[in-house]
Amino acid sequence: MRALGLALAFCSGFCAAQPQSDPAAEPLALLRRVYQATEKLSYTGTFVYQQGERTETSRITRIGGPVEFIERVEVLDGVRREIVRTRDAVRCYLPESRTVKVERRVGQRAFPGMLPEQVSELARHYSITRGEPARIAGYDCAAVVLTPKDDLRYGYKLWADAGSGMLLKARTFDRRGETVEQFTFVQFSIGSVPRERARPRHPVQTWRIDETAVVPANLTGAGWSVQADLPGFRKVAEVTRRLGEARSVGQVVYSDGMAAVSVFIEPMSGRDDVLRPGPSSLGAFQIYTRAVANHVVTVVGEAPAASVQRIASRVEYRQPQGQ
Amino acid sequence: MKSKISALIDSELPRAEAGPVLDALRADEEARDGWRRYHLIGDLMRDERMLSSGFSARVAERIEREPSVLSPAPMARPAARAPAWTFALAASLAVAFVGGSTFLMLRPEAEPPVPMAQKAPPQEAVAQVAPPDKADDYLLAHQGYSPRNNLQGIAPYVRTVSGESRGPAR
Repeated sequence: MRALGLALAFCSGFCAAQPQSDPAAEPLALLRRVYQATEKLSYTGTFVYQQGERTETSRITRIGGPVEFIERVEVLDGVRREIVRTRDAVRCYLPESRTVKVERRVGQRAFPGMLPEQVSELARHYSITRGEPARIAGYDCAAVVLTPKDDLRYGYKLWADAGSGMLLKARTFDRRGETVEQFTFVQFSIGSVPRERARPRHPVQTWRIDETAVVPANLTGAGWSVQADLPGFRKVAEVTRRLGEARSVGQVVYSDGMAAVSVFIEPMSGRDDVLRPGPSSLGAFQIYTRAVANHVVTVVGEAPAASVQRIASRVEYRQPQGQ
Repeated sequence: MKSKISALIDSELPRAEAGPVLDALRADEEARDGWRRYHLIGDLMRDERMLSSGFSARVAERIEREPSVLSPAPMARPAARAPAWTFALAASLAVAFVGGSTFLMLRPEAEPPVPMAQKAPPQEAVAQVAPPDKADDYLLAHQGYSPRNNLQGIAPYVRTVSGESRGPAR
């Protein structure tokens, strides 16, 4: 015991001599740089997305700064898909079905960034450590590992270019350490390109346009009680929106800063599709469907199935007072 | 252990004690044998109807082909009953095989007279269902709020729209 104490004393003295005494400080600083780089850099590149048996290559372009920007990603394998994001809208082009899905945000900051204090808060539910450096797409990368402190969330290993802070590889893993999904850049270059390169070139005049305005809402006032009941998951959005062609749904989103879970609530009537209650999964997303008070509750999350189910099981409806 | 298995079948075993017994049933062939025998005894005592030979193979084949349709047990009550059902069926089948006689002829096209419940072995997670129709709409609506966008920009959006490898739309 005494020997251990001595060893600890020695070790702490040794560590204190180092420029950074908090072991989480350095990986947290790296993480902050990643968030800043994602928001500020202009770049082009090609990345591979892997999930289960699925492997897809996509081309990505970003031009602009934190406020005015255009981002475009085009999937190069399989069914043609292209997504373009600007400050206040996301457009998803599906040439095969000649459809463009447009989502606009109304009365809210379109895509809130990650604030520095939120990055520190991640350390409450993840142990954040430094990983082995690696070379990815020709860049020397530093790595940071977020290991969850409970079974309610996945873990993440992130590799960022040591120079720019740009995230070049991201792996999500479950509690057994198995990969849930992975993004890896195979080619990447920083710097602006002509804006034309980020503009989609589809003849959308003849396409069907599914346009959705996302509007802040008060579902609690309407009688719905949704409780995340998962440590660290906070409500980040409560909106109404259209889903697909016609359905109007309520959406409440919970997030712990790395993962998010959405609760969708829609009236049972008017749905033409079959209701299949229970857990399902699609790609890296876990889904849980329930019928509550003549409504369909669909919970979708990038979190383990048990967490998604737990949120789904807490959704309740009570007739609001005075109605 | 045998008395506990018997108590479990009769729903008289306290919940706290059920876990180890179910574990034993999964791991131990002798325990499973006891389980079947107790059910067989129970079935005979209650004079329950037996099923035709080959019934289990046909049921198993249908289970393979059919998507799960029943909702899973509510969370508050973990799958304590479903295993009993599973094994009860197994016990009935064992009788059918042992007896080798045909009591009840099932037409091949007839629906199996048992409700679809759980494909998964006892105590495993509740049965998966097929994802909702138009699930991509949910994923796309969700992705806008994913913190991954702050970390990776637009790249994570590739997860939200079906590729070919996801199989046909259901």
